[in-house]
Amino acid sequence: MDNLAKHLLQRLMRRIPASMLQSTLDKWGRLTAEKRKSLDFTQSKLTITQELVALCEESELTVKHITELEMIYDAHSVELMQFKEQFKSHLSELKRNVSVKIKKHTDEAVWIRVAWGDGLSRPNHLKATYVVHYLQTPYVFVNALSSKNKPLLLQALTLSTKHQQIKAANLSGQKLTALRDLLMRQYQQVFPTKYPSPLPESDQSISKLRIEKVQAEASANRHRMAGETFGDGMLPALQSAFFQLETKFKDPTNEAMTQRDEPFICSVKFSSSNLLESLRHCASSGIASTPVTPLLSSIPLKGRNYFVITDNVPNA
Amino acid sequence: MNICRKAPRSQNITEKVKPEHLALLVKTEWQLSYVTPLYQFRHTQLKTYARQLSAFIAAEKQQGLAVEVGGLQNTFKVSFSVLQGLAETNDDPETVLIQVQSKPMFARQEDPPKTVWSGWLSCINGNPEYLQSLPKDFTCLPLFCSKGAEGLSSLVKSWLQRTFDCCFGPLDINQTTLQWLAALWTNCHMETNIQKLKMIWTLPVVPPLQVTYTVDSDDALELWRSTRESSAEKSRGAEDEVTRFMQGLMSHFYRHFRVDLSAGELNQVSSALGSAKLNGKIKISSSRYLISIFSLLTECALLKMP
Repeated sequence: MDNLAKHLLQRLMRRIPASMLQSTLDKWGRLTAEKRKSLDFTQSKLTITQELVALCEESELTVKHITELEMIYDAHSVELMQFKEQFKSHLSELKRNVSVKIKKHTDEAVWIRVAWGDGLSRPNHLKATYVVHYLQTPYVFVNALSSKNKPLLLQALTLSTKHQQIKAANLSGQKLTALRDLLMRQYQQVFPTKYPSPLPESDQSISKLRIEKVQAEASANRHRMAGETFGDGMLPALQSAFFQLETKFKDPTNEAMTQRDEPFICSVKFSSSNLLESLRHCASSGIASTPVTPLLSSIPLKGRNYFVITDNVPNA
Repeated sequence: MNICRKAPRSQNITEKVKPEHLALLVKTEWQLSYVTPLYQFRHTQLKTYARQLSAFIAAEKQQGLAVEVGGLQNTFKVSFSVLQGLAETNDDPETVLIQVQSKPMFARQEDPPKTVWSGWLSCINGNPEYLQSLPKDFTCLPLFCSKGAEGLSSLVKSWLQRTFDCCFGPLDINQTTLQWLAALWTNCHMETNIQKLKMIWTLPVVPPLQVTYTVDSDDALELWRSTRESSAEKSRGAEDEVTRFMQGLMSHFYRHFRVDLSAGELNQVSSALGSAKLNGKIKISSSRYLISIFSLLTECALLKMP
């Protein structure tokens, strides 16, 4: 790498804010994933710059590549700036006396803090609403939003993200990272395979061993199906799932109730410190029959934990 | 164990029991225990007992036994009284209420003392054969309900044990009783709106899973009625009605979630009329069914006694 390229890179690094560094380098793609992982973004900008220069030298990058990086950063920061400006202006048009602070974090997340006031009072910073938007995704996470301010905020978000519509995802919980991981499937997925275990040998065992073998197979099947439905390893921590049931009562042993036309109204709430792990354990232990019902598998599949089930929509 | 299992009747017990006494009992969560018969307990000696228990509590506090209520400056005043009218049969002794009040040392004269602990001993519809079989000097008040600081509960029990040679034990509300209460409250919906029937199960997985199953009261009542009719047709007993009612609820649940609730444990049942928990906590919100429920609990206490 010649001196001009090094100089350009160092100058560029002074321009790029720490919060946008990682995502800009990812978009650039001129450094392998391995090389990018080796960068420690918690260090000082100066140290990161030195390491980055070394990595670019190793990869024999030229001035052309550095200017490419500069263009990517410019486009990226314009995108972010546009979003910030648009959101602030849309929201201020809809409501006076709101205080908006926007900050971008390193993991592509834009955090917005809105303190609401109205024509008569100043913004209340004690009851601020927090919004997190992942720029390249259609998802927005909201905390502490009153029903009064909800339509205003949603409209401002829809316009500034250049979408047409915004709707509830029916997913809520206490850990933002868990909700994000669930929605974006960032946990260990298990994909169904047609032949989960090697084909059995033709060796025939005696009947007692066969019973144990069948039990072990049944248990292995349950574990496999549980993993396929919910995932492997650590699962995102959801605390609860709520089902409003408005379906008819059907029980062959109870004719009177089965003949009713009206639905049997009830609700079910599942709660746990980690709901998905609990449900997975239900499936693998046999407490929940496998294959797991669509009602429960919808939680990880659709990234939702609030459902209304009626007879017209048997699969949530 | 059959006496209390028939459909309970709603009673207007405000004619038998003073409203202010009823007010002390309802809308409060009580912790249940059973207690063996009391030796040489006299309903006429209540003032003496109050003095003795006060002195006992003061002495234990001086010895540094943690009482957890208020500062060291507090004085405790104990009162024993009779809650007349709860005893149903001639064999039932009258219910006794114990209250511990606390008064901070530097409180003004007008400040009313605060009740920091209450408990009551009762026997409602106790098994007459058993009651009549007891030697003359024993008074059977097997159901003990308490509310307040755990330290004071221990002191009161400790004093009762040494004074009347009895012993206490926890009274859990078992699965059968919880299911019976679910059916009872559903049945009561015919006269009083119970709003919803709520049941909480825990399933033994890691981490533990809690299932809260809430049923609309009208629908629960229809299900209950349908199981009663079909049980009546097939001449099955009252216990079968409750079992079939619960099975109906669990099968509706299974149809949707394919999860077997009987693999877990029913922990809590509640409705607008009250709540009951596996760990022996009960709350009655309406005095109309108080006698029925406490008759059942008296029976449970008698059965649990060693």
